[in-house]
Amino acid sequence: MLELMWENVPFLLKGAYYTLYITIVSMLFGLMIGLVVAVARLKGNRPVRWLARSYVSIIRGTPVLVQIAVIYYGLDDYGISFGSLTAACLALSINTGAYLSETFRGAILAVPKGQTEAAYATGMSPGQTMRRIILPQAVRIAIPPMGNTFVGMLKETSLVSVIGVSELMRQAQLLQAQYLRYMPFLLEIGIMYWIMSIGFSAILERVEKRLARAY
Amino acid sequence: MKTRKRGFLVTTLMALAMFSLVLSACGTKPEAANNNGAGSSNEAAAGNELEAIKKAGVIKVGMMGTYQPYNFLNDKKELDGFDVDIANELAKRIGVKAEFTAQEFSGLIPSLQKKKFDAVISQVTITPDREKVIDFTDPYITNNVNIIVNNKTNDITKLEDFKGKTIGVGLGTNDESYLRNEVLPKVGDFEIKTYDDVITSLKDLNSGRIDATINNLYALKPIVDKNGFQIKAVGEPIKSDQAGVAINKDTPELKAALNKALKEMKEDGTYKTIFKKWFGEEPKE
Repeated sequence: MLELMWENVPFLLKGAYYTLYITIVSMLFGLMIGLVVAVARLKGNRPVRWLARSYVSIIRGTPVLVQIAVIYYGLDDYGISFGSLTAACLALSINTGAYLSETFRGAILAVPKGQTEAAYATGMSPGQTMRRIILPQAVRIAIPPMGNTFVGMLKETSLVSVIGVSELMRQAQLLQAQYLRYMPFLLEIGIMYWIMSIGFSAILERVEKRLARAY
Repeated sequence: MKTRKRGFLVTTLMALAMFSLVLSACGTKPEAANNNGAGSSNEAAAGNELEAIKKAGVIKVGMMGTYQPYNFLNDKKELDGFDVDIANELAKRIGVKAEFTAQEFSGLIPSLQKKKFDAVISQVTITPDREKVIDFTDPYITNNVNIIVNNKTNDITKLEDFKGKTIGVGLGTNDESYLRNEVLPKVGDFEIKTYDDVITSLKDLNSGRIDATINNLYALKPIVDKNGFQIKAVGEPIKSDQAGVAINKDTPELKAALNKALKEMKEDGTYKTIFKKWFGEEPKE
């Protein structure tokens, strides 16, 4: 069994590459979406707030699998066609963005009101206050829950195997069908997912420490 | 302070870039929607599908990749099997290379319709229902479908015995709709459990999680040989299916080219060689 696992490491690593790729791309876009939506919900005018809230509600209230299918198959009905990798990244970015926006919103609200008042007192505009005073503090608060979201997303990438992306789960399925065995490969990708999530946690921990030092 | 400000600017710009990307994708919508609105699923340049493939030098082929001996990974971790050989031979004869994507069976036809593939070569059985939405070439193989049960099972030999049992079948396969639409009303209540690949269903059959499955013997043989599954085929074949290369509707040039290639393959003996290589016997037709 160990031998079987060992000789298939390179093949599974190809899958791990896509898993990591999708995770990182979706994380970056998710962060941007999350930040924009969080600020929109807090500072936007009525229609903007309503739009942001609907987005979060819809995305959190529907399965990721449905979202992936909507983007890959559904939008295609209207002539909007993506490759499977693009569709995967897009779906997961939009998904993570919704969760992260709540994390950011919470974090922004957690910064004491006095900070805003003090910033206004020194003559800063609301925009400046947000960028220079509130967000830097909010980011620190947001890091631990952000870590949760990222690690969760890393594992959710396995769902995009249904649209034909050869990520880790898909590669394991192919091996299972080749060797007609399950456990070695499930164990193997389990370990790979685990190692990757440890990596993410470690990076976030360092970022957290760095930010703590800056103040 | 300055760097922080720039960071936010970059973030905002990138977010804007992404949104504009999404918007520009939406911008292509009206044009394409018009075609759909005309009530046909063909695209404007559908007739040029063969030309497009030739121009690209690549035909994109979708398959399961988990269906021995038709399409599966070989020791070199390449897709291999009867379907792969057929696909490569077809591609060669229209002067291009075949590029394969492995995807669960239930997603293959939707992906074909969405033009993610040019063709699906994965034992897609030709059925009237499917012919409403996609097109097929001439059949390239005939498969007999049998009832398959655990060695210990003695009370299932025909479809009527399915009553009250749990029957496994591939999700989105022709066998599934056959079970649901033809066998179920005739035989009465039994439970259908769907799978995304053949191996899983046979594994579950071996461990007793389902009572029977239906599949063809060619697909069964390598799995039993390799794995020592305690399963067997029983009774007479319940039906015989013909599989063709699935392509999109309104692509007459592509269909003609593939049919011509298939015909030539059969005439010059290449088809027979491929068939014998995978099934150890001569094709019956």
